[in-house]
Amino acid sequence: MIFGKTKLEMKVGIFVFIGMVILVIFILSIGGFKTWSSGYHINLNFNFVNGIKVGAPVRFAGVDVGEVKRIKLEFVPQESRSNVKLDVWIRNIIKIPSDSSVWVNTLGLLGEKYIEIMPGIDYSHSLKHGDCLVGVDPLPIHQIFNNAESILRNLNDGIIKIRNKEGTLGKLIYDDAIYNELQALVTDVRKNPWKLLIRTKEKK
Amino acid sequence: MFTLFFMDLGRKVISFMYFVGGLTNLAVQTLYFTFKPPYKSGRIIEQAKKAGYDSFPIVSLVALFIGFIFALQTAYFMQRIGSELYIASLVALSIVRELGPVITALIVAGRVGASNTAELGSMQVTEQIDALETLAENPVKYLVVPRFIALGIMLPILTLYANIIGILGSYFICTIKLGITSSMYMHVTFTSLLYKDLFTGLFKSWIFGMLIALISCYEGFNVEGGAVGVGKATTRAVVFTFIMIIAADCFFTALFYFIFP
Repeated sequence: MIFGKTKLEMKVGIFVFIGMVILVIFILSIGGFKTWSSGYHINLNFNFVNGIKVGAPVRFAGVDVGEVKRIKLEFVPQESRSNVKLDVWIRNIIKIPSDSSVWVNTLGLLGEKYIEIMPGIDYSHSLKHGDCLVGVDPLPIHQIFNNAESILRNLNDGIIKIRNKEGTLGKLIYDDAIYNELQALVTDVRKNPWKLLIRTKEKK
Repeated sequence: MFTLFFMDLGRKVISFMYFVGGLTNLAVQTLYFTFKPPYKSGRIIEQAKKAGYDSFPIVSLVALFIGFIFALQTAYFMQRIGSELYIASLVALSIVRELGPVITALIVAGRVGASNTAELGSMQVTEQIDALETLAENPVKYLVVPRFIALGIMLPILTLYANIIGILGSYFICTIKLGITSSMYMHVTFTSLLYKDLFTGLFKSWIFGMLIALISCYEGFNVEGGAVGVGKATTRAVVFTFIMIIAADCFFTALFYFIFP
């Protein structure tokens, strides 16, 4: 039996070949071409990462340059604390100065988390494969709420005092003594404008 | 009156059980002969051309129109809430996960499944299948296995074509009519798709292909009583294939949703 000689086989061949090409196009486009471009890995150390996930984008100066590949939680016995180690993949052409600051940022108020790298100035020492960078810990959202709550409580105390007609502001708003005095003064001045021109005798 | 109704119902249930049992028998025999040499590659190629190459024009035409329609229909609502950009991801996900496999399977069931049944049915009526057996050629091996393999391979490939053409159709509408830039459309499309979406779609269409081949051949073998019987069997084959495709689609969608989220 001989294969690959008939028109029939050629037609099926064209069909299958183009199908395979489409499959490859789909696979490459879905995965994103960056898997095939070369890059290097760096490590970022955090105490708290605010729920970042594998595959989260890494932005250097606001541009997507890589992604989080692995997240490892390890215990540091010397300092008796837990350390979150992020394995981050960066494209090869990107040079990151070693004095850059790194933190976890959020897209919008409750949006997706990503790693923000603010470029430093020391380009003579840029990060190489396997280098480490210590990240600035993001404020946990409950801490923000706690701070906001204490601020609000203080404000509330002040407002209650004003409401209770205590203190200068309270008297200014609720006590109409000053208003009456002022009105009397204005009416007086309107009636007798010459009073403004008279210099009162200075007592010696 | 009631007894007649229940007798009719009972007869239907029993005939359905016969159908399921016969289909299982055919499926087991087909699987057995699929892996048993000698392989009839010439006949597989012939069926592959019939199922794949010849179905391509109608599948691509329908997929293109589905893309147009889907983009316009989603645009109707998305423009009201001001998020036209998400038309791209919505269209991509629904075509790749659901519409591509199902529409392709329905077209192929109507086109290839019906012709399989008619072909095998007329062979049965003219006793050609018995002739095959006297020639020591197993009819399942000779007639069913090539169709089974060809549809199982060709339907996922046709689905791939339908996917890309459907996305292309929606791309035309979005870039020309709705003012979404081309690169933005492609970016949104391919960031919303996952490997899982593509491969569950292709898996479903593989299952559909095998279902079409088995049901159409089963109905073809079971033709009785001449030309009228062939017509009846063809109708039954198309109707049963449609029902089974939708039922299997529902089953696998639920399976992928609940078990492999």
